[in-house]
Amino acid sequence: MKPEERPKAAFFDFAGCEGDQLQVANLEEKILDLLNIVELVSFREVMTEHSDDYDVAFIEGSITDSHAEERLKEIRNNADIVVAIGACATIGGINSIRNAQDFEKVQERVYGDEREHYEAWEKAKPAKAVVDVDYEVHGCPIDREEFLHVVQSIVMGREPNIPDYPVCVECKLNENVCAFERDEFCVGPVTRAGCDSCCVNEGTICWGCRGMIDNPNEEAHEEVLEEYGLTAEEVMKKFDLYFTWQKEAREDE
Amino acid sequence: MKVIKKEDLENFVDELIANNEKEVVGVKSKDSKYVFDKLENAEELELDYDVTILPPKKYFMPQRETLVEYETREGIEMEAVNEVVPRIIIGIHPYDLEAIKQMDKVFADSPEDDNYLEKREKSVLIGVNMKQISEWSFAGSMGTATIEDGYDLMLTDLGDRYAVEIGTSKGRELLERESLEMRDAEPEEVEEVENIEENIQNGFEKELDFSPQNLPWLLAENYGDEDFWEENAEDCYSCGTCNIVCPTCYCFDVQDFSDISLEEGERMRQWDGCMLEAFAEVAGGENFREERAERYRHRYMRKGRYLYNRFGDIACVGCGRCSSQCVPDIADPTDIFNKLWSDKDE
Amino acid sequence: MNKKDSPYLPENATILSVEKMAEREKLFEIELDSGEQLGHDPGQFVEVSVPGVGEAPISISSSPTKEGNSFELCIRKVGNVTNVIHNLKEGDKIGIRGPYGEGFPVEELRGHDVIFIAGGLGIAPLRSLINYSLDNREEFEDIKILYGCRKPCELLYEDEVEEWRDMNNIDYRETVDECPDDVCWEGNVGVITTLIPGIDIDLDNSYTVVCGPPIMYRFVLQELKEKKVPDERIYLSLERRMKCGVGKCGHCQINGEKEELYVCQDGPVFNYDNIKDFEEAL
Ligand SMILES: Cc1cc2nc3c(=O)[nH]c(=O)nc-3n(C[C@H](O)[C@H](O)[C@H](O)COP(=O)(O)OP(=O)(O)OC[C@H]3O[C@@H](n4cnc5c(N)ncnc54)[C@H](O)[C@@H]3O)c2cc1C
Ligand code: SF4
Ligand code: SF4
Ligand code: SF4
Ligand code: SF4
Ligand code: SF4
Ligand code: FES
Repeated sequence: MKPEERPKAAFFDFAGCEGDQLQVANLEEKILDLLNIVELVSFREVMTEHSDDYDVAFIEGSITDSHAEERLKEIRNNADIVVAIGACATIGGINSIRNAQDFEKVQERVYGDEREHYEAWEKAKPAKAVVDVDYEVHGCPIDREEFLHVVQSIVMGREPNIPDYPVCVECKLNENVCAFERDEFCVGPVTRAGCDSCCVNEGTICWGCRGMIDNPNEEAHEEVLEEYGLTAEEVMKKFDLYFTWQKEAREDE
Repeated sequence: MKVIKKEDLENFVDELIANNEKEVVGVKSKDSKYVFDKLENAEELELDYDVTILPPKKYFMPQRETLVEYETREGIEMEAVNEVVPRIIIGIHPYDLEAIKQMDKVFADSPEDDNYLEKREKSVLIGVNMKQISEWSFAGSMGTATIEDGYDLMLTDLGDRYAVEIGTSKGRELLERESLEMRDAEPEEVEEVENIEENIQNGFEKELDFSPQNLPWLLAENYGDEDFWEENAEDCYSCGTCNIVCPTCYCFDVQDFSDISLEEGERMRQWDGCMLEAFAEVAGGENFREERAERYRHRYMRKGRYLYNRFGDIACVGCGRCSSQCVPDIADPTDIFNKLWSDKDE
Repeated sequence: MNKKDSPYLPENATILSVEKMAEREKLFEIELDSGEQLGHDPGQFVEVSVPGVGEAPISISSSPTKEGNSFELCIRKVGNVTNVIHNLKEGDKIGIRGPYGEGFPVEELRGHDVIFIAGGLGIAPLRSLINYSLDNREEFEDIKILYGCRKPCELLYEDEVEEWRDMNNIDYRETVDECPDDVCWEGNVGVITTLIPGIDIDLDNSYTVVCGPPIMYRFVLQELKEKKVPDERIYLSLERRMKCGVGKCGHCQINGEKEELYVCQDGPVFNYDNIKDFEEAL
């Protein structure tokens, strides 16, 4: 299953915190294993060289202006395979919280008086809203093991196993005490698993950083959260932390 | 029947742990709940508990386990794998013992599944009669509040002592230790155990309004009542919690995971659940149970009818785990079954 | 654990040849490395394994009467495992588990007329029985084969079909749903059901064996009903998601009011009379 040649891989960052590339850089001894299966031609975190000759492009960050859109389209043209990594690139991430807020205020807060000089879009977009994306590595930040699994799968020519069921599955496999039994509130029931429910394992809740599953029962969960005692506004806030772009996309369908 | 003082039981458990022949696991507390987990010492053992988050099934069919290891450097080489850890499992309630009896049948059915059977054979099961009863449990209605067999040893709390019923020679052998302080039970003690067992039957808040023997035909009759299933499934997340926590669910998925060399790896099975959306989906997008309501109905049919047809058991032992852990609170079998029963004459 | 004890352990096998039959289908000739015959009945299936990728259930497309030790699988490229299998070449290794399931009731069919109705990839499992009956021609009465696919270029087993067309001891008919103008096609144009009214069925003496995509069954069965073919004289082969092939994983189960069936053990071949009440079956 091992191909004769290593595919060439390059990393690109857009509006994001580069936390995902940091996860990759932090693979430590495993990064050498990674280099056994792909050839890195561009990766700002660890090297200064850059090349436009690559097979696989990893995209981090969300797309927030037309400049970035052009750049991403060019990358899509150059690459055989485009992989979005991290919540910003897969679902708009934290950047899209502002999608649900008043745009003027956001601009003012972010850029102060200088806001006239920036032509940022009103809404932050994930990579797939701009170009075709072949694979996604979800999470904020991404999980190193899952990143490796996706790279391995690409190199082997197989499909990666990315779950399309809720975090609750993993949470129960890990025998956690459910947040709702601790009088806390959790969006795990609509969030895509794959992180091994890591946050709940640590005693907290799921915030939804991997985005919603393809067919979430959001109506039910909104109602349930209210039944458990959240106000409608608090429920909105829970859903807006990571799901803003996805919710709008679902409504547009 | 034997009788052992509580402190002597503690010593016995500590000795089993120190002995290291088999891993000793038992019920421990986890925050406000209970789980089966490895015991470091006897003090951790909680024999007065209501229900554990997951059933002890995980020791015979782990959440994730390797079935086959492969290597593809030259041609392919594959090898069957079974990681067996011999265990003593302490504190199993009767409903879970009943569930294990049912699982034994499933995995012993041809072709035999040695990954389960070998782990099962190498384990010693020490049951305990319930003192606390989960508010969600309806084991009393399912005939699983107490049990006659299925354990190697069975404990009943008698205040400062435990009554010990010996179920098998495996159980008897475990007790064959010089240091163990134990005596035969007095007739009054035997009677006390009988009384305790009788009283347990009356301790359940939840119950089925009818004999579970009616479930197979009741479910068959209502299979086609689509409105009923749709109404009840409306809030279902398809989160599979009700499958995963159930002691009689055994469905699994199988996937390959290669290591970074890409030339070796493991074929693993992981618990799966029929409530998950993709459970019956095939390549090309056809999904044979596409609607939430179809999957929701399927679980109840499995519990009350299908497995009965195949193995002769009602595959719900009334532990109440599904009902207590379903966040939207729609997975309670007594709720659904009683509704069907009371609607049956309309 | 003793290797033989695990029902999940595949046997090694080698691909002897690969033939591209259509855009998405390839025919693989395979031999077990043990040198033994697979020992299957027509209609049974195997789990094909590519270590590192996974397993897929595939019908055995060759007849047990085929010469030599090898057997054939016709595989359509649709997803993870099947895509990777399509990249394999002569000499490559794969894993095989099986044969599994209940195949066609050869004993029951013997001495009767048999009508085969195949849609698209449905010809793959049917071919094991078709070739079996052609190799034992004297044991069967009239044989009719109705074969339909979407377009002429999707026709599988072209060489054999060519022979069937010329055989005078069988009645072979074919159809395509549509035919592009620039393609030469002498057969019928129209869906598979349009072939059924034109055939004579001796109701007391014939069996009909059907295999095709889920949607085809509904229409074909309706047409057969119109011809008054008794339900118990119809056999079908069903497809479901499978993970174990041995009745454990729960994925392939079909439900109905009365009973539950496991496609991997009770099927994939079913008598229509036994499953017609199963809401989930068809
Ligand atoms: C009894 C039987 C006989 C079959 N015979 C043939 C045949 O002769 N030729 C052929 O090309 N195909 C056949 N199929 C269909 C074939 O099994 C699927 O196309 C194949 O499993 C798809 O796997 P994948 O990994 O390529 O696709 P993916 O979509 O990536 O599938 C993922 C997983 O889902 C399961 N799955 C998906 N689709 C199916 C399916 N249709 N049936 C069962 N499991 C599925 C498998 O476990 C697979 O590993 C048969 C299926 C069954 C049940
Ligand atoms: S804590 Fe959250 S993810 Fe875990 S089971 Fe409860 S709702 Fe689901
Ligand atoms: S538990 Fe939720 S918030 Fe935490 S990593 Fe997983 S998806 Fe993200
Ligand atoms: S019934 Fe409840 S626990 Fe079961 S899948 Fe639906 S929401 Fe989850
Ligand atoms: S269906 Fe629910 S109550 Fe019945 S055995 Fe399973 S988890 Fe327990
Ligand atoms: S089919 Fe559903 S209910 Fe039955 S064992 Fe499997 S997961 Fe459990
Ligand atoms: S394929 Fe696993 S039960 Fe049929």
